[in-house]
Amino acid sequence: MDQIPEFWRTEIYHPLSVHFPIALLLMALLFKALFYNRRNLVWAKSGTILLGIGVLGAWIAVYSGSLADGIVSRKICDPTLLKDHENLAYVTAWCFSLALAMDLLAYPRSLITFRRPLKILTLAVLITGSVALVLTGHSGASVVYQQGGGVYTPSEDCSEFE
Amino acid sequence: MYTKLIKSFAALCLMMVMAACGENTDVVESGTYRGTVKEVEASKTEIYVSTADGKTLELYFTEQTRLTRNGQAVEFSELEEGQNVEVEVEKKGKRLDPVSVSILD
Repeated sequence: MDQIPEFWRTEIYHPLSVHFPIALLLMALLFKALFYNRRNLVWAKSGTILLGIGVLGAWIAVYSGSLADGIVSRKICDPTLLKDHENLAYVTAWCFSLALAMDLLAYPRSLITFRRPLKILTLAVLITGSVALVLTGHSGASVVYQQGGGVYTPSEDCSEFE
Repeated sequence: MYTKLIKSFAALCLMMVMAACGENTDVVESGTYRGTVKEVEASKTEIYVSTADGKTLELYFTEQTRLTRNGQAVEFSELEEGQNVEVEVEKKGKRLDPVSVSILD
């Protein structure tokens, strides 16, 4: 009889950690786009905080994904898709990291001359990162829902759950 | 100040492009191939092998994979970047399972 695997497996940390940065980073884009021309510092800072936590979460997700990769790649039938997922994840994380760096550069008064071009560039990089984020999510979903990556398949008679 | 800003931006862009050009791997038919170890990921017991025809094989060792040097079984830690190897792979779907890896150096 099969045994139900442990829940806290190495490959579990990736799905647990990946959804927070997705939400945070897309919300950061929304805040930065909606309040692009507003002078209200509260909204601008809120967007920066979302972006900062999102970037931290993105790198945690990259790390947990790297841990999961060593296990999942041995089981799925098309690891090349997982490689695409990994490459896209790096593009996403770097894009948002760059956007965060540029966003922070726009705060000091000494750089006020460059504030407008920096804001435009930040928004452009955020949009690029969001496209990469969606593609990363799509490839990750394909690994799970088409190939069962990291997923336990119960026996036909479900006897291990009795 | 403006020059510094441009330089910082260029450096960050370069890092992003480098990340975007991440490793691409190839799928080949089951068989035996010779090549060079391009990268060793010890934590995942994984190697990348560049073949003579420019393909990159990503190989995750399984419990069945035999690693040898001069016909003798050796540990995974014996593998290093730049070594010439002969690998026998079995293609399952688009996954390449290494059946055997022989270090030729």
